[in-house]
Amino acid sequence: MADAHEQARWREDFPVRWDEDHYMTRRELAKFLTLGSGLLASVSVLIAAIGLTRAAPSAPVRTIANVDDVPAGGSLLFRYPTDEDPCILVRDGAGRFDAFSQVCTHLSCAVVHRPEQQALACPCHNGSFSAADGRPLAGPPTRRLPRIVIEQQGTKLVARGIEV
Amino acid sequence: METRQQGSVLFSAILVLIATLVVIQLWLVAAALDALLARQIEVLVPTAAASIVLFALSAGLLWYVVSFDERLREWGQRG
Repeated sequence: MADAHEQARWREDFPVRWDEDHYMTRRELAKFLTLGSGLLASVSVLIAAIGLTRAAPSAPVRTIANVDDVPAGGSLLFRYPTDEDPCILVRDGAGRFDAFSQVCTHLSCAVVHRPEQQALACPCHNGSFSAADGRPLAGPPTRRLPRIVIEQQGTKLVARGIEV
Repeated sequence: METRQQGSVLFSAILVLIATLVVIQLWLVAAALDALLARQIEVLVPTAAASIVLFALSAGLLWYVVSFDERLREWGQRG
């Protein structure tokens, strides 16, 4: 009872009504939401500006490996077209070469080669892509892996471009 | 009094509509970021345009409801 009395005195000294303090009118909420809408529109425009001004990397012609570097059923990691773009070169049992971006189209984890399944698997969310053409086979990814166009020139494998 | 109640309902409805538009804009921003990371540049401009249209709609609705509210207050003071 004494505590209640003390609390009442405290309230008399500091007459702040917290319920009114936190009160927000519908008009204020509508203004706040519209301000948020404006900020989101600005962010969208900023993203578009970044995407349009950032020059698409040109696809250089570059030797990525020798044919003997990759055994049948094996794979090799390389970077193309820039040093920030990890890719994977896959050789199937018949000796055919295919190359793809190593970045999963779901949430950008690195895919790894699973030769026994003839697949490129993403360990983050169990996504899986075909090692033959990069199309999604299982898990959350819905878009295929970008294919690196490669060409065999003698004993060398040359990357010539990217097919998204 | 009836007009005031109608105005209150209208305000609530428009508030819900603006909130829905903001949620759609959030989804658009997420989609634009995804497209940017996937270098799908062709998606970015339509996304930004749609977001601007939604913002214009939100601002228009806010302007309408605030002006309606002010008219209602003036009418109430006269009455």
